[in-house]
Amino acid sequence: MFHPSPRPSRCCALLGAALCATASLSAQAPDQLLRAKRIVLAPDTVLEPGALLIRAGKVAYAGDGIPAEAIAKAERVDFGTATITPGFVLSYATLGQDQNLGELAFSLTPDLQVAEGVDLWHKELSKLPGSGVTAAAMAPSERQLVGGIAALLKPGADGASIGDADLPLHMSLTPNALSQDRPPTSLMGALDLTRTAWRDAAAGVRTGADMAVLRQTLDGSRKLFVRADARREIFAALNFAREFGLQLTIVGAAEAKDAITRLAEQKVGVVLGTLTAEAKLELLELPAALARAGVPFAFSGQAEQLRLSAALAVKHGLDRRTALAALTRTPAQLLGSAATSGSLREGSAADFAVWSGDPIDLASRHLSTWIGGARQFAATTATQPGVK
Amino acid sequence: MRSFLLRAGALAALSSLACAQSATIVYRGARLLPGGKAAIAQGVLVVGGGKVLAIGDAQTAIPEGAQIVECAGKTITPGLIDASFAGALSRTDGNEQSSEVTPSLRAADSLDLSNPAVTRALQAGVTTVHAMPGTDNVIGGLGCVVKTRELSGTPETVANDVSLRFTMGTDPSRSNRAIRGGRVDSMYYRRPTTRMGVIWEVRKALYDAKEKLEKTAADGPTSPDAATEVLGKVLKGQLVAYSTARSEQDIRTALRLAEEFGYRTVLDEAQDAYAAIDEIVAAKVTVLLGAPSAETSVGDGDGSQPRYATVALLARRNVPFVITTGTNQAALDLRSEAMFGQRFGLTAEQAMDAVTLRPAQLLGIDHRVGSLETGKDADFVIWTHDPLDPACAAESVFINGISALESR
Repeated sequence: MFHPSPRPSRCCALLGAALCATASLSAQAPDQLLRAKRIVLAPDTVLEPGALLIRAGKVAYAGDGIPAEAIAKAERVDFGTATITPGFVLSYATLGQDQNLGELAFSLTPDLQVAEGVDLWHKELSKLPGSGVTAAAMAPSERQLVGGIAALLKPGADGASIGDADLPLHMSLTPNALSQDRPPTSLMGALDLTRTAWRDAAAGVRTGADMAVLRQTLDGSRKLFVRADARREIFAALNFAREFGLQLTIVGAAEAKDAITRLAEQKVGVVLGTLTAEAKLELLELPAALARAGVPFAFSGQAEQLRLSAALAVKHGLDRRTALAALTRTPAQLLGSAATSGSLREGSAADFAVWSGDPIDLASRHLSTWIGGARQFAATTATQPGVK
Repeated sequence: MRSFLLRAGALAALSSLACAQSATIVYRGARLLPGGKAAIAQGVLVVGGGKVLAIGDAQTAIPEGAQIVECAGKTITPGLIDASFAGALSRTDGNEQSSEVTPSLRAADSLDLSNPAVTRALQAGVTTVHAMPGTDNVIGGLGCVVKTRELSGTPETVANDVSLRFTMGTDPSRSNRAIRGGRVDSMYYRRPTTRMGVIWEVRKALYDAKEKLEKTAADGPTSPDAATEVLGKVLKGQLVAYSTARSEQDIRTALRLAEEFGYRTVLDEAQDAYAAIDEIVAAKVTVLLGAPSAETSVGDGDGSQPRYATVALLARRNVPFVITTGTNQAALDLRSEAMFGQRFGLTAEQAMDAVTLRPAQLLGIDHRVGSLETGKDADFVIWTHDPLDPACAAESVFINGISALESR
């Protein structure tokens, strides 16, 4: 159904129909005019005070660009003194579904698609809006060397919907991808297998859907996410991407400290795990070091620790703007979904979170989360703007 | 503005590195052991741009403006080279276990120079190592030569794909099982469980490669698979086999197989070399002697019996040899192993050459490292005094002219 096909014809017929249905429902709903003291459209574009016009689940206009007649007709939602930011994007998520998203008897299944096996009604997905998350890229199991193609999910009251079934291809070079029952059992073996597969794809000596996906990574039409934590795994991923000219994002990257020059040189993005206050200093200082070198990075992992991670990174030298970008715009960019998620520019999905102040400030309260212009979470106690 | 600042920062970092490399520094007054040449009592070593600019006695001209480091009482040698070093790869991840014959695997893919073993080697004066896949496979894969300190976060490779490791003996079979119940789909059942089976695998791999290559040649210009390509290089003499053969029996097998298929081999960890010394002399092979200090043999069931006198015997019979640390857990650092070499009968020069010049020649990297000569890499060690004295320590270790210990 989601047979790998060159972009941009990405979505299956059914999915397209589902999206159309949602769109037509929203189209009947009136426009919404949101006002708040502070609206962060993107980390470097802030409206104070701000206004957004939401039409059919998308940001139609922002700030001064809203036409007077649209303002007159729209339903008004006033968030008062609150701050609105783009919803958080998880660029690498498994959310307890790892078991269901891997064909573990095989090491390479690049043509497997998460969109076809993901449980849209899983309880972990419905918890995401509670942490300000409006989109999560579900990854195939990291227990396969090359697991398959990730899918972007948007949580919703009636189960999540698939926003994009055609995200980057996922590879894993961690010990979890090794097995004593099938190859590879070692990092060297992993590299030998992948090198052989990509070489065959490039030379066209093998055919099939799996080779077609590998060729997409070779011609630049599909990005590659590689799970790598240890130093040697990170260097192996970097060397592999350089050998084949692949667009690489490293997921995990716990020991990336010594690889920063190479990451910058090869223009590689990084998806970091969430931070805790007890984490090693090396990890806490990594975001600021990556930012200094100009390496784009995003936080992913425990949704409820995303804000804490950003705050800890700021405490250890990261600027607030990059910290917020690491939760919103950068993950969307790494996924190649920046046109529709990660910011509140005109044309983006109306996916946002409402806070009593700056979300990086942990004293700020999370008030509500909206996906496609519909509220998916609201803090239960105390009255708050925008909640009737 | 921000990107400008970033760039400025990067430039500053680069230029400080460049300065350390390009400034001319003179190390004066030490006893110099250049390797392959006579010792120089009150020597002068001129280093700049990461290379040796000049080396000689006290009369050597000192370039104008050069920084001078007084080294009276010290000894300077080339950085040590370990031609069989197991510490650059994780011990549990040194082999791909899904197959017994994995010629196309590369140690370079699994390098980890942040491993504490590498730091310890560096502290003992080792500046270059030859890393091979482990000994759990019959044909383990390709070795690479790297410096023990990284420049800008990337391992500095001196030479890639310099060796193909063959393991004789029991290492490749010890974790395999004969089928007696249990899971029959386990890949460990499909593999040899005896020394005989191990050799059968080598011979089969080489025969298959030979036949495939002949067939490919007949079919026209189709490229063979990666494994056949590598074995083909061995069969054509373009790649040296490193046969890990500890016991007398395994040494004889390694020599016999090399003769049978006509490939070039060296004997790695040949602890029992004394027992097959005549054959080794006749075959004109180089011996890598792993840990001459060790009283215990490596592995289990190899049946080899290390003898302290082996190292002197190799020298006496003019067998080309190098001293390594290899896979023996009881191995000391490389300097100490050279020291034991001298204790067991080598001359001081032979002992030092066995950990500097000889391994460089063996690995084909002597145009860059292994001795201190004008134009070669400025990899050297300043020792507190005579490096073969038990109380001696490496005071500073330089790789490409940069102090490698300070930078850690």
